[in-house]
Parts: sequence; structure tokens; C-alpha cells
Amino acid sequence: MIAEGLELARINSPLLLVTGPLVGAALAAAIPNARASWAIAAIAAILAAVLAFDLGWRGLFTAGSTGVSRHDGAGLFVVPLLAGGGALVTLALGALSKDVSERAAPFAHALVLVVIAGWCGALLARDLFSMFLAVETAWLAGVGLAAVNAERDRAALSGALRMLIAGGVGAALLLLGVGFVANGVGEVRLLAFAETRIAAPELTSIGVGLILLGLAIKAGAAPFHFWVGSAFGRTGAALVLGALAALGAVAVMVRVAGFAFAAPDLGAGVAAVLTVVGAASVVIGSLHASGARNLKRLAAYAGVAQIGCILLSAALGSPAGLAAALVQMFAMLAAALALFGGGAAIGGVALPSLDGLGRRAPLASVAISVAALSLMGAPLTVGFLGRWRMIEAGVGVGWWWAACAVVAASLAGVFYAGRLIDRLYFRKSSAPYVGEGGGWRWLFAPMLVVAILAILLGLEPAWLLTAADAAAARMMGLAP
Amino acid sequence: MALDVLIFRAEIAVALVMLLSGAVAAWASANVAKRIVGLLIAHLGAVLALAALGLPDAVLIAGTGVALAHLIIGAALLVRLQEAYGGVEAREFDAADEQTEPTEPTP
Repeated sequence: MIAEGLELARINSPLLLVTGPLVGAALAAAIPNARASWAIAAIAAILAAVLAFDLGWRGLFTAGSTGVSRHDGAGLFVVPLLAGGGALVTLALGALSKDVSERAAPFAHALVLVVIAGWCGALLARDLFSMFLAVETAWLAGVGLAAVNAERDRAALSGALRMLIAGGVGAALLLLGVGFVANGVGEVRLLAFAETRIAAPELTSIGVGLILLGLAIKAGAAPFHFWVGSAFGRTGAALVLGALAALGAVAVMVRVAGFAFAAPDLGAGVAAVLTVVGAASVVIGSLHASGARNLKRLAAYAGVAQIGCILLSAALGSPAGLAAALVQMFAMLAAALALFGGGAAIGGVALPSLDGLGRRAPLASVAISVAALSLMGAPLTVGFLGRWRMIEAGVGVGWWWAACAVVAASLAGVFYAGRLIDRLYFRKSSAPYVGEGGGWRWLFAPMLVVAILAILLGLEPAWLLTAADAAAARMMGLAP
Repeated sequence: MALDVLIFRAEIAVALVMLLSGAVAAWASANVAKRIVGLLIAHLGAVLALAALGLPDAVLIAGTGVALAHLIIGAALLVRLQEAYGGVEAREFDAADEQTEPTEPTP
């Protein structure tokens, strides 16, 4: 009986990955006690992560049926990352109760689960309209999360407003793009790009371009990144989840691009959009990160540069390029969890507050340092692995300039991420250590340890590379 | 037939103008209320375009629902911003926020 129930859950795991967190969110919001609400949210998030890893494992490493389309490599690779990251963040929220009032905490926990459900839904949706609704659900929950600690810092409201405006304009473009594609292709199924003769290729190309543009705004890719600094730089530590939102948006972009590459009429236009946005993000993100004076802003702008590398890799439109994009998504998530998590555990966000913390907050300092090394693309880290694969894929098709852009991003990373290591280990403390939270602070530990281990996966990358290659092969329709 | 095509093109043109002008207002206006109204206009432009393209009613209703969700959250933020900053001008927020944290130099 139990075995049958588990098998039923496995068969319906794409549906459960959306409905499970939503039911958990309803329960978490309904319970007024902050700790009880957090416990419910943590259980729901962990169950979703288990389901997601099972789905990804079956889809990428075995021939079993997953209920997911055969082209959906991006969904199978990224959903476990999102759900796993979401579970770690939800656990860590238990240490952040000081950031939000007792009254607001249950809503914060519920919003986190809605964000997880929304992005998982967007990555597993079979048609563009469901994807649009899932993206908007996740986005609006993210805006709520950005504003949730406004009682402590009113600047969070300003960041949430910018996020709402940027995402709202992105939503309008996304909706218009879905309409153009529906009119041009005759249906909104993602697989229709590969299976149907496109009646109006120009209109469909414009539609796919608008969809990618709308998602680029939500991912915070340059030149649409104006909201990133305010939203991530001044909001509460609960916005560690912002990293998941950026990852979700860029993964949906890569997923849509993967489906569109299957249609010969659309490939060139999609590659052009990804190339322009990707190159701009690498340059502008690196420049902004170099000037950042706040750990969260630095992490946010470094994320913009990483998004650029991901989009440049995806623009290649080859299995090697898509696999490189997926590896870089893994690296981006690991670095973001380590940086945001380390910053939240320490409690200070201004760069001078990191001075000399290496001895007093060793785990958080190691997490930030390892993330910094990954942002630099230092050998033996997963950041190096992603960039190396991108350079290999780029040079393979003659895109020397893209390979040079990635090398330039790494050099910029040496400057801005190197400052973090310098401050942690080579400077004397100039500010009191403000980390607090008692025993609950240890709830950061799982997130930091997993992030460190994920970054160090660069030492033994066979499993990660196999998964990325399998996912890319599925996206290109090359998988059995 | 020609009239139908003309009406279709006019509907699409009006929808695109609404979307673009709304987006510009939402991005560039200093007043938060105007930004939110701009956002609503942009969304309604997109929904109008979908209607002109002949998409099913369910899509139009859901698109309108998303627009209303943005409007409601925007209105809630507007009220909270007014309470927190004593105004609804974005420049006032930026000036107040800069006092507690300097912005990084623009490259």
C-alpha cells in the first residue's frame, strides 16, 4: 500500500512539485505561531526537494518515465537545484526570525514556498501560457518577500517597488510574446516549436524574442538590471531566495531557447537575443560588482555577470553550449547560496563589516571565500568548470570573442571577489561582530556546508558533467 | 475584408502604443502612483493585443487577473511607502535611502 502510494507520487511528481509547496504555503500562512509555521514550511520544502531530486535522477540517469516531455532537459536539471536550494533556504529562515515580526513571519514562510512552487511550475509547464502564470505567481510572491522586513528597514519597500515595476513590464512583454507565438504557431505547447510547421515565422520570432526579453528583465540581466541592487541590496536576509528567483528566470529563458532552437526559423533570432543580453550582462555586471560596497549588492551584480555567461553559453545553441549553461547555473546557485547565506549568518552586509571575520565566524567566512573563488573561476571550483566548458564550446564553433568575454568576466571576478577574501583573512576588524540568533543560527549550517561542497564539486565533477550532458542532449532531442 | 485588416492593424497598433507608453511611464515616472498606473496601462495593452490576435477568453481573463494582481500589490506598496517615507516620489525614497547607505559609483 505504501509502495503503491510512493509510486503514484513519483508518477505525478511534476504536479506534486507545484501543488505540494502551495498546500504547505496555505498551512504555513494559516498558523499564527512563527516557529510552527516555519516547521510546516521546512517540511513542505524538504518533501518538494526529495521529489525533485527523484524526478531529476529518473529523467537524466535512468530510462524510466517521468511524466516530463522528452525535450525537457533544462527542467529536469534545474528543478532539483531550485527545490533543493529552496529547502536549504527555508531551513535557514528559522534563524532569521529576528528579521521579521511574529505577525509577518508565517506569510514570509508561505511566500517562500509559493516562490519555489512557481519556479518549479514554470520549468515543468508544457505550454507557454501555464509557464507565464507560474512565472508571475513566483514573481509576485518574490515581491512580497522583498518587502517583508520593511518594519526593520523601510528601504525594503523601495526595492520591492522597483522589483514590481520591472517585473510588471517584463510580464506585459511576456504576455504579448505568448500571444504572438500562439498566433504564429497556432498553439502554445512548447513542443509545437519542434513538431509543428510554423505558419508565421516572423511573428513567432518576435514573440519568442519578447518572451526572452520579459524573462531577461525578471532575471536581472543587463541592461534591465536597474532593480537588482535595490531589491537585493536593502531587503532582508530572507531574500537569499532572490538567488533562486534569478536562477529560475534564467533557467526558463534557457528552456524556452532550447525548445526554440528545434525550429530552424527561430534559432538565429533566439541566438541573437541571448548573445546581446549575455554580452551586456557580462560587462555591466562585472563593472557594477567591482564598484559595490555591500556584500549583497556585490553578490547580486556578480550574479548578473554569471547570468551573462549562462546566456552566452546557451546562445551557442549546441549540446556543448547548453551543457555549459547548465553547469554554470549550478555554479551560480552554489555561489549565491554561499554568499547570501554567509552574509546573512554574519549579520553585516557592508564590506568593512567583513574585516577580520575569518577567525570569529569560520564557517560563514569559508563559505564566502569559496564562493569568491568560484566567482573568479579559480581552478578546482565548479565556477572554473562552467567557464572552461563554455570556452571549449565557444572555441569549438569559432566564437573566440565569447570565450574572451568569459575570461574577462573571470579577471573582473579576481578583482571584486578577491576583495572579500582580503577583508575576511588579511585585515583587522574595524566593526563589532553583529552575528546573533543563538542556537538557531546553526540552521544556516546546512546551506553553507552544501554550498561549499557544491562549489568543491569541481574536484570530482563527473556526476555533474554527466547530468548536464544528459540534460543538454534531451534539450536538443538527441536523448533516446 | 480590407476593413477587417485595417481594424486588426489599428487594434494591434493601439495595443502596442498602450504597452510601450505604459512601460515608459512605469519605468521613468518619479511618482509611484503614476508608475503603477503606467504598469496597468502596459498590461491592458498586452491583453488588448491578445484579444486582437483572437486568443481564447480564458487567456484574456487570466492576463487581466495578472494585471489586477500587480495593481493590488502596487497599491499596497504605495500605501506602505507613503506611511514609511511621508511621500510618493521615488526621488524622496532614493535620497532617504542614500543617507543610510551610499550608492556605488556608476561605471
